[in-house]
Amino acid sequence: MTGASGEGGRAASAISIDSLSKSYSSIRALDRAGLEVPEGSIFGLVGPNGSGKSTLIKAICGILKPDSGRISVLGLDASRERARIRSRLGYMPQTPSLYEDLSPVENLRFFGGARASDALDADIEARLRFVQLWERRHDPLHTFSGGMKQRASLACAMLHDPQLLILDEPTAGVDPTLKQDFWRRFHELCGRGRTIFLSTNMMDEAMRCHRVAVIMAGRILVAESPEAIRSRGTTSVTLRLSGGSRTEELTDYPSELPRLLGEYGLAPEVEGISISRQSLEDVILAMLGGGGGETP
Amino acid sequence: MIRRSHLIAVRINRQFLRDRRFLGMSLLVPFLLMLLMKYIFDSLPGLVRLGVHISDYAIMVAAYLVFFIAFVLSTIVLVRDRVIGTLSRMFVCGYRRREIVLGYIAGYSTIASIQTVEVLLLTRYLFDVRLLPDIAPVLLTMLSLAVVSVGLGVFISNFARNEGQIFPFIPLVSVPAALLSGIAIPIDDLPLALQWLSYLVPLRYAADVLREVLVEGGDFTGALGPFLALIAFGVVLVSLASFTLKERE
Repeated sequence: MTGASGEGGRAASAISIDSLSKSYSSIRALDRAGLEVPEGSIFGLVGPNGSGKSTLIKAICGILKPDSGRISVLGLDASRERARIRSRLGYMPQTPSLYEDLSPVENLRFFGGARASDALDADIEARLRFVQLWERRHDPLHTFSGGMKQRASLACAMLHDPQLLILDEPTAGVDPTLKQDFWRRFHELCGRGRTIFLSTNMMDEAMRCHRVAVIMAGRILVAESPEAIRSRGTTSVTLRLSGGSRTEELTDYPSELPRLLGEYGLAPEVEGISISRQSLEDVILAMLGGGGGETP
Repeated sequence: MIRRSHLIAVRINRQFLRDRRFLGMSLLVPFLLMLLMKYIFDSLPGLVRLGVHISDYAIMVAAYLVFFIAFVLSTIVLVRDRVIGTLSRMFVCGYRRREIVLGYIAGYSTIASIQTVEVLLLTRYLFDVRLLPDIAPVLLTMLSLAVVSVGLGVFISNFARNEGQIFPFIPLVSVPAALLSGIAIPIDDLPLALQWLSYLVPLRYAADVLREVLVEGGDFTGALGPFLALIAFGVVLVSLASFTLKERE
């Protein structure tokens, strides 16, 4: 499932962020953050609660004014050309941010109605069917569970088939089967040239992204493919020998493993080899300084 | 622009109609307050000896209620929109500041119109105030006042990050409105500095129009000055609200 289509080549940037800073009184929410999100990729933003994920997302959507730095979205200046950017962008906030006393159809008709479209009703039906809320389309949102509200919110963000989808924890509270469907759809959208920028706390989701940025205290620690981030971790190789066992920590196991095994020439006393590679979560937790945060 | 403002107004009114408790309270509160005033005035016969006529006050109090309720409602709802993130979502979906402000004004003006009709009916039948043949200028004045209140509410909402922070602003707006509008105390009896300050209270102009038309028995042309001042106040407040509505945190 781990794609790599965002890797390699010189894809144009859907989002380009340079040295972005934002402070709330004494708290530094973003600290010279920089990122490049290639067009047509799924880009994951990973970090503990309060690390600056939502602040960064709001700045990209033009609903937060950074103190300094520059953001370019789809080639347009995010602070000056907000209206043009917004016509091509879909945003799903962390909280559902819909009217609880209105039904999904009424909410989508209201928010989607801002963009004049002849196909609005057909789009609403398609999106609500996708998030499996079509049967409940006329019920007020306050009768929905948290996960159902999230689904309605995602339908709202996807309504006009935007070129760039910005999703703040889109699968929080969504059941595993539907989560699979969401991810299938994200990859399908990506295959049609759409760019998806999402924040997540779940490592299995980070592994499905083409690129992952790790954010901590408002700073981007690393932005690479999940596989490249994982390769920054160590691999523990244990050889069970006839006279005991030997364990070595390898930082670059594809190149170091042959050397290690070469010492034995795979002699008969090697009875078995076990390899334990650090997971993406282990590597990211190590980067975040032992995982002081609640997430990832 | 008109289409988007219309969508907002329709949405607000749909929510208003759906919330039965809110709907009931919005109609019950003016009724109870007018009834309370009637009861107090009826139980104080000394007021008549002092030359205080309840009917002169009834329409002013009605105007005050419309002003106060529209101000509080629009402030709270807009702050709630900001807190739950629907305001940000409106911006990202393409709604613009002036469309949002106009949409809120249109939406709340509908609610305020219903309340205006209610308080005018109460004024007519509880206090026996003769509203005809001047009902058109009275309605127009009350509605303009409601627009001013919503503009003020949208403007004030910029200074509150949550619903709790609105409460200090409620007495800040409502007490000067009561004391400096000429409803409770004749403006000529106020100290000169406060007389000047009263020009900043929009309710003063509405009270001037209503007094001229209903109490003094004059016609609307005689009250054109304060009416135009009220309209000017509305234009300034609505523009101010449109320019200051925060799009970005």
